[in-house]
Amino acid sequence: MAQAWQGKLEKLDNFRWKIPPSYKPGMKVPGLIYANESLLPGILNDKALEQVANVSFLPGIVRYSLAMPDIHWGYGFSIGGVAATDPDIGGVISPGGVGYDINCGVRLMRSDLTLDDLKPKLQILVNELFNNIPSGVGSSGDIKASAKEEEEIFLKGAGWAVKRGYGVKEDLEFTEDKGSIEGADPSIISKRAYERGKNQSGTLGSGNHFLEIQVIDEIYDEKKADAFGLFKGQVTMMIHSGSRGLGYQICDDYVKSMVSCLGKYSINVPDRQLACAPVNSPEGKAYLASMKCAANYAWVNRQCLMYLARNVFEKVFNKSWSSLGLKLVYDVAHNIAKMEKHKAGGKEKILCVHRKGATRAFPPCHPDLPDAYKEAGQPVIIPGDMGTVSYVLAGAIGSMEETFGSTCHGAGRRLSRSNAIKACAGRNIDKELFNKSGIIIRAKTRSTLAEEAPEAYKDVSEVVDAVHGAGLSTKVARMRPLGVIKG
Amino acid sequence: MKPFEFIDHTADVGIKAWGSTLTELFENAAIGMFAVIAGEEYKAQGSKIEKKIEISKNTDNLEEILVSWLSELLYIFNREKIYFNNFKISSLNNSGIKAETNGVNIGLYQSNLYTEIKAVTFHNLKIEETADGFNCTIIFDV
Repeated sequence: MAQAWQGKLEKLDNFRWKIPPSYKPGMKVPGLIYANESLLPGILNDKALEQVANVSFLPGIVRYSLAMPDIHWGYGFSIGGVAATDPDIGGVISPGGVGYDINCGVRLMRSDLTLDDLKPKLQILVNELFNNIPSGVGSSGDIKASAKEEEEIFLKGAGWAVKRGYGVKEDLEFTEDKGSIEGADPSIISKRAYERGKNQSGTLGSGNHFLEIQVIDEIYDEKKADAFGLFKGQVTMMIHSGSRGLGYQICDDYVKSMVSCLGKYSINVPDRQLACAPVNSPEGKAYLASMKCAANYAWVNRQCLMYLARNVFEKVFNKSWSSLGLKLVYDVAHNIAKMEKHKAGGKEKILCVHRKGATRAFPPCHPDLPDAYKEAGQPVIIPGDMGTVSYVLAGAIGSMEETFGSTCHGAGRRLSRSNAIKACAGRNIDKELFNKSGIIIRAKTRSTLAEEAPEAYKDVSEVVDAVHGAGLSTKVARMRPLGVIKG
Repeated sequence: MKPFEFIDHTADVGIKAWGSTLTELFENAAIGMFAVIAGEEYKAQGSKIEKKIEISKNTDNLEEILVSWLSELLYIFNREKIYFNNFKISSLNNSGIKAETNGVNIGLYQSNLYTEIKAVTFHNLKIEETADGFNCTIIFDV
């Protein structure tokens, strides 16, 4: 299906390519793609650039329709897309610019354990994590909330989990927005959304969601690593999950209702999946208040997953989690829309920043950073595929100047799921990874392993080098996987 | 005419569905969606369940009805664990759809289901009419 990009693409420098607005009538701003020469052929062979051009049709879009180096074909927006709109000039909010998995994101937990401490216990740790953390299609968990509590989850986010004893206050300090975004309105959530979110807190889900035990094998910036509490040889754990059925249903509800807003507000977009409404319209406000419920729910979910994992570590090592040093480094959202202060037209303005497969990357001294990270900048957690490496970056000043405080979010897919399954036919991916790199993998199904095989993804190191080179974020540490749990 | 085929999509999953009539297109799209969830070879085991589906909606395009139809089936699948394998649409027009469906009650954990469809998207969705009937391409977020 994939067709090579036939349109114009101007190289600006080694890390930036531009789609001029003349490519397609209706484009309000140029497209700007961050990449490097080795990532570019893959990007050109995908349909993602057409989507970058389509996003530039959005009313009120500021400066550029942006794409990160992990860009690939999504629906409506490309994955790896960033767009900021200005509500004062009719700027819109688009549920498709956030995606169905609202506040899908990643958190990284560090430990005082080294590889040598972990090695004898790795197999049992991975098995226990797999047995104790609900995963798979439609999985539901043991963390139950009453109807009243559901409301509190939507309003207070991770704060609810901490109140219930699923973490400590310090965890909130190291979560984007302290694990709770203000302005959520549970009263406007559909009955279906409520239903689908029920009993899914503390569940991983399926597909590309995972929990991974890792070891830091490279430090690039000693000072920042030190600020984040990271050192070479240290065992870390990464969690990738989102808002589960609740987010899917909220997005679904609003994409459907906003399709009719296109006519109502005379909005011209080339793809109905870009359905949107002005940020300041009743529909726009309702979506934002609903999206925030799902965002808060997702932070509860990742907090609960970390709680379950800490319990498993305690059992396996027969020590309390605090004495094992299992502290949260940071938690980032990579599918979200945020009202944030940025420069537009020489003035500071509140813009609606859509990050669809992109991570916030605030630079040093940003007021939203926890005190401990003020000097180093915001930690940016970049998962790679399950056989290669993952990274911790730090937000850099370039992101505020160019990308509305955003950077990449992962490796980005290279192969479709069906092509990945074809490429892995007859192979035993978990055995291969164990024999080659000693990585222990537990997954609900074999097909997930094939879909998520390392060759299905771009080289995460190339992606990270491109955002580092472009000055959007800087490399701090690299982790290699030791044990992986997949849905 | 084949009912549907899987198509390649980098991040998600898609199907192309055909039908000699619009009704058949909608039925085949539903068969295709359940094949995305569990694979073409999957045979659901369990107690049989019948379900009537009725969606009322006033719209000027059938694509919205198609997304609502598939979303409804997906919603029931998630809520009631019914794997649908038979669809009989009795009425279909711009004001909605009525259908009788058959499915099997399955326990998600005992089955070999593997693809969690998050939603049916509108991405580039267009029902096309050809000399042989109708076709469309649907992208699912997985």
